[in-house]
Amino acid sequence: MGALGHFLEREGIPTTGISLVREHTEKVRPPRALWVTFELGRPLGIPGDAPFQRRVVKAALDLLARTDGPLIADYPEHVDEAADFTGWACPINLAPTQVDSLEAEIDRLATWYDRAVADQGRTTVGVSGLDMIAAGRLVAEALEGALPPAQSLKEAIDDLKAYYLEAASAFPHPGSSKTRKTWFWDETRLARSLLALQPKLAASEDPQHKILANLTLIPATERHRLTAI
Amino acid sequence: MVKRLRDMPEVEARHLERIECPTYGDTPLLAGKPLNECRVAIISTAGLHRRGDRPFRPGDGSYRVIAGETPGSELVMSHISVNFDRTGFQQDLNVAFPIDRLRELVADGTVGSMSAVHYSFMGAFPPAAAELHAQHLAGLLKGDKVDAVLLVPV
Repeated sequence: MGALGHFLEREGIPTTGISLVREHTEKVRPPRALWVTFELGRPLGIPGDAPFQRRVVKAALDLLARTDGPLIADYPEHVDEAADFTGWACPINLAPTQVDSLEAEIDRLATWYDRAVADQGRTTVGVSGLDMIAAGRLVAEALEGALPPAQSLKEAIDDLKAYYLEAASAFPHPGSSKTRKTWFWDETRLARSLLALQPKLAASEDPQHKILANLTLIPATERHRLTAI
Repeated sequence: MVKRLRDMPEVEARHLERIECPTYGDTPLLAGKPLNECRVAIISTAGLHRRGDRPFRPGDGSYRVIAGETPGSELVMSHISVNFDRTGFQQDLNVAFPIDRLRELVADGTVGSMSAVHYSFMGAFPPAAAELHAQHLAGLLKGDKVDAVLLVPV
């Protein structure tokens, strides 16, 4: 990100930006950066809080008046950890023993996904161009040994994860995004499938499969689960 | 609350520490127009694009074009990384791509105007792969009379 600040400013375009990892920005030294303490993936801080987001945007844009850089300004507002919902549980039992296939699990979430889309007025599913049953089939076939091209698999998996997490946001007691992610990794057949797929991809001779296995399939925070399966 | 790497969960901090950061000589800061006269574009590195556009791939330093009037329902994210939250974006586009906030700042006179087009890279690019694309992009921004860019990571 910071690299783009260098590239564009050198081409004559003043830049300002948000920094999520201060240590990275201190190394890259872009012209202007507003450092925020928000979660990675949420550079504007709080979903659905327009006044908060507007203050962040304004603070970043105000740095354009300065020419005494490279500079990093610390944003003064922080976001509290979302409340955890002890005892939160998915209202439909999706534990891997309760559905006999990935397809059944995907199907069972469809109602909740439809509700989420109706509530939000949008969906972030749709990178792969596949419907979710077909995306699930690609994962299932990969597990059986028919590894599709890494890019197709990655796009299908990203769509499925978005589908699951959007569906979970429409549950009657949706909890926090943190509890929903825990639900995904603890309880869904899809997550178990991804964990089981990782060593198969890692063992492939295709370097793109290896990249997927080692970098872009399982989040760093969940990789400890790989040893548990 | 996350402050510095040392305050993060160890596994996340270790992952972020391992990311190689490019270093550059200091770039002189350009004096721009007052904000209320500025035409501003957003450049995201969230790997955003319209549904149906070419998704990002590993090593991809190119960008996608997001016209200002693109409905939020058309935008998807194909960033290759799995190490950041996507649920915020699922809930509210603006938490990663603050186009409505910029529009509001234009409406209340804080910002001069908004560019016709915005852009997204996929932040896990090798910087060398993006440099030529960024130089080309600078020409497009000037063509759109953009005075300043807001860079938004994920």
